[in-house]
Amino acid sequence: MELPRQNPDQLLRAINNDISKKTKGKLKIFFGYAAGVGKTYAMLQAAHQAKERGMDVVLGYIEPHARPQTTALLSGLERIPAKRVSYEGITLHEFDLDAALNRQPQLILVDEYAHTNAEGSRHAKRYQDVQELLNAGINVYTTVNVQHIESLNDTVASITGIMVRERIPDSAFDQADQVELVDIEPAELLERMAGGNIYQEEQAKRAAANFFSVENLTALREIALRRCADRVNLLTESARIQSRSDYYTDEHILVCLSSSPSNAKIIRTAARMARAFKGNFTALYVETPAAAAMEDEDKKRLRENMRLAEQLGAAIETTYGENVPYQIAEFARLSGISKIVIGRSTATRKSIFSKPALTERLIAAAPNMDIHVIPDAAVLEYRPVKRKLPQVVKVRDIGKSILVLLAATLIGYAFYTLGFTEANIIAVYIFGVLVTSIITTNRLCGLVTSVVSVLVFNFFFTIPRFTFHFNDPDYLITFTIMFMVAFFTGSLATKLKENARQSAQAAFRTKILLETNQLLQKEKDENAIFRVTAGQLTKLLKRDLVIYPSDGKNVGEPGIYRTADSRQTELVTENERAVAEWVLRNNKRAGAATDTLANAKCLYLAIRQNSRVYGVVGICMDEIPLDSFEKSVMLSILGECALALENMRNSREKEEAAVLAKNEQLRANLLRAISHDLRTPLTSISGSAGNLMANYQKMDDTTRIQTFADIYDDSMWLINLVENLLAVTRIEGGQVNLTRSVELMDEVAAEALRHINRKSREHTIHVRTGQEMLLAYIDAKLIVQVLINLVDNAIKYTPAGSVIEIGMKKEGKWIAVSVSDNGPGIPDEQKPHIFEMFYSGANKIADSRRSMGLGLSLCKSIVTAHGGGIDVSDNQPTGTVFTFTLPAREVDLNE
Amino acid sequence: MNKPLILVVEDDPPIRNLIATTLKTNEYRYLSAPNGKTAILEAASHNPDIILLDLGLPDMDGVEVIKNIRSWSNLPIIVISARSEDNDKIEALDAGADDYLTKPFSVEELLARLRVTQRRLSFMTAEMLTASSVFINGGLRVDYAGGCAYLNGQELHLTPIEYKLLCLLSKNAGKVLTHTFITQHIWGRSWDNDVASLRVFMATLRKKLEPDPNSPQYIQTHIGVGYRMMKVE
Repeated sequence: MELPRQNPDQLLRAINNDISKKTKGKLKIFFGYAAGVGKTYAMLQAAHQAKERGMDVVLGYIEPHARPQTTALLSGLERIPAKRVSYEGITLHEFDLDAALNRQPQLILVDEYAHTNAEGSRHAKRYQDVQELLNAGINVYTTVNVQHIESLNDTVASITGIMVRERIPDSAFDQADQVELVDIEPAELLERMAGGNIYQEEQAKRAAANFFSVENLTALREIALRRCADRVNLLTESARIQSRSDYYTDEHILVCLSSSPSNAKIIRTAARMARAFKGNFTALYVETPAAAAMEDEDKKRLRENMRLAEQLGAAIETTYGENVPYQIAEFARLSGISKIVIGRSTATRKSIFSKPALTERLIAAAPNMDIHVIPDAAVLEYRPVKRKLPQVVKVRDIGKSILVLLAATLIGYAFYTLGFTEANIIAVYIFGVLVTSIITTNRLCGLVTSVVSVLVFNFFFTIPRFTFHFNDPDYLITFTIMFMVAFFTGSLATKLKENARQSAQAAFRTKILLETNQLLQKEKDENAIFRVTAGQLTKLLKRDLVIYPSDGKNVGEPGIYRTADSRQTELVTENERAVAEWVLRNNKRAGAATDTLANAKCLYLAIRQNSRVYGVVGICMDEIPLDSFEKSVMLSILGECALALENMRNSREKEEAAVLAKNEQLRANLLRAISHDLRTPLTSISGSAGNLMANYQKMDDTTRIQTFADIYDDSMWLINLVENLLAVTRIEGGQVNLTRSVELMDEVAAEALRHINRKSREHTIHVRTGQEMLLAYIDAKLIVQVLINLVDNAIKYTPAGSVIEIGMKKEGKWIAVSVSDNGPGIPDEQKPHIFEMFYSGANKIADSRRSMGLGLSLCKSIVTAHGGGIDVSDNQPTGTVFTFTLPAREVDLNE
Repeated sequence: MNKPLILVVEDDPPIRNLIATTLKTNEYRYLSAPNGKTAILEAASHNPDIILLDLGLPDMDGVEVIKNIRSWSNLPIIVISARSEDNDKIEALDAGADDYLTKPFSVEELLARLRVTQRRLSFMTAEMLTASSVFINGGLRVDYAGGCAYLNGQELHLTPIEYKLLCLLSKNAGKVLTHTFITQHIWGRSWDNDVASLRVFMATLRKKLEPDPNSPQYIQTHIGVGYRMMKVE
């Protein structure tokens, strides 16, 4: 019986599916609204089903909950032993990622998607482990509760009053191929809890009081259900966009980043909005001069906020400037932002110079923009921020201030003795404050100097002198005005200096980027591009760095680039290389100052364009984090580098394609010309032979001999054609396959003549060589072919009785061979074309025979392949000279 | 009469026909074999004077046939090859073939090769009979015992290497010797530089030997393959 024939399309699709399955694993999330709804139980059941279907299922990590029904399901499944990690004296059990990757199962179960790994693990979070498993082509089942999803964090916290620390970015949830909602009535859940199914007894009471009330659970359930529905919506939406591509929103949501603790909530709100509008999402940080004075805690929080925004899918941008609303408005205008999301009190208390109502000023600056103001009344307990002095005032600055004050006092004293008015002395002090503001780095110095100036003036120059008293009440006004003038002058100077610094930075950034761009454009190969990039990066960051080039699959040999004052840290170790490889495989940053493999010495970033990674750059951190300015410029440089590499690759591919197309064209031309040229002699041969067979008796002897001669000549011609074709196949496509050895030119010439002899009966051929022995490093067969072609050509195009001469002589490192005749010569207008393929003098490829213009072009290819050149010129008094050069070779004689 | 017997080993009927016709019209006796196995059988049972062997046979590689025959007989083998690569010719020559012909070949060429081989045969038999220590070829006389060579009665002034070369070629007169074969015998190795040196020595030897170096009489060059001492009448 015949099997039903399968539809080839279906087969192909099945194969494609298999391939894509192989490349990336599928993720299924068992999603619940609270602990105890039965996620783990459902997951284990699904695992058993998968195993029955014949899948290779392995338990990666299951939380030991000690729920009898769940524990029962564990039996019968292979289990990867948990890794023991000791942390501050406690032994923790962690999922063993490497063991799982080595085991390579088809399906692995990893409980608690939102788990935070113990310190020293490869990734900070378990969802990152899962991503690595998926990248390795392993399918994953995992569980997660609604309160762990980043964007829902505030909402859930507002209901339950508990802030969850273990969170996963929304993208980690949405990327799941399947989400199974594990649902149960809240009342039933509470019952189950009372029955001790979920938490062990003592925990149960506490948990019930805080969290597990029917109201809370119902609310959580609603959120979970809605989130699932959102996800489905998102999927159908994206499917619709893909299929029709007419769906597009130009909504672009901008959120402003700050170091404020409430900023996280604003970011999440903005992310939800961006999702709802299906628009682009950008997070902007305006770096003000005040930011430099930010305390460490604030800086850390700002970094966390930035990371949060990044996780929620925002593109992070940084601008610099004093005027925050203006910067926001400008950025929004230039980037085509449609909606701005800010907190009600953002940035008000951060700078003494910004006026309280940022919102209002922003509205004024960007009148066309939708501005969404999110109330700051956080669900978070208010965390009072201890304000320290912004910065420790440097001793050097204090010294400078004192010196300036001293100088001002001395000059003032001189003025005083000379009898100048007090106004002049005041002017000297104001000048002193101005100088202090300029030469010191801390603005506090200017302020203090203003106050001290007033006091010193009072002490030395007002009556009664050398006391802090003054008699004339007018002085009060004088002091106040003096202080105010001094203070404002000082602040202005400081501000100017700041602005100058910022514009210098911006100019530097522009300069370095422009320079990078220009340098990269000049470079043509990968190594040079990496070298330029490394040079620019070391110039910018003043840190050592290492670049691993990559072909997309493996990292190559690293290039190390050190700064002048390098600390010579060992940058290429087994461990560091492994981090670079991880970055390459996962196309994500890792190493120092990240969540992944944070114990590395360097921060590793992929040099990538779209999804293709061209290399990995490692920047030696030495425990000092990069500031945001450096970071953004660095990323731009890396972007330029990737772009340059991509351009290079594209142009290379294009060139290759062009060469290929040209070869195809040549091949087609060749075939056409050959087919044509074969037809003529073959017709003659078969016709003559047929004639002889049919009419042999009727022919007289002369006719017979003539016919035989024709057959012979035509077959000889075909033989020569075949020889040329064989030579062509060897140099086809420019990839010449030379079998070179040292040859004696006399022998080569003699061999060529041996092949020509028969035809040259009507021509005289001489070989002229000097006494010198000419040795050339050549492929003898091919050069013989060149000589045959040139001499044949001479015979073909000169009348009987002409003289053909082969001359050979040494010219430095070359041997010049010439083939000359005394025939009619070649007209000048034809000379430039004779080496072109299929060119055969005036007669185009028509029905004229022997039109095979292959000979000379082949000669040229062969000679060029040997590194020599071929040329044609006129012989004196008439005729043509072909001259070509071949590399000469000296020989050490083995006596 | 004592017409030489030629064994033609060729699987392609038209070429076999061509060779057979040529042999018939030129007073040779011939046998033909379409494949390697028959060829070995025929060679063993009829003991031909010369074998014309096509390298591309349906049942086995021609080189294998050469090796087989060489294991029990010294009879001359001329290889016919359609492959233009020099390597298989060299392989066949090194395996023990005496000469080669590349397709397409002319009838005259075929006959010329047969004559060369025949002369070599007769020479070898004469040599064996007299067990002579003197080699005579036209105007060339090599006195192996005396360690000197004469051309038309004049002593040739040869360097040691040139003399060695001359001896090697003359002892194998009529046979194509590959570059590797020669360098192995002269220097005991075959490096690139040896092959290059060989060309130089061969050229100087020739200058002393040949009246007209452009149309050599004694030493024939086979580009990419080797050299041969021709038998001069």
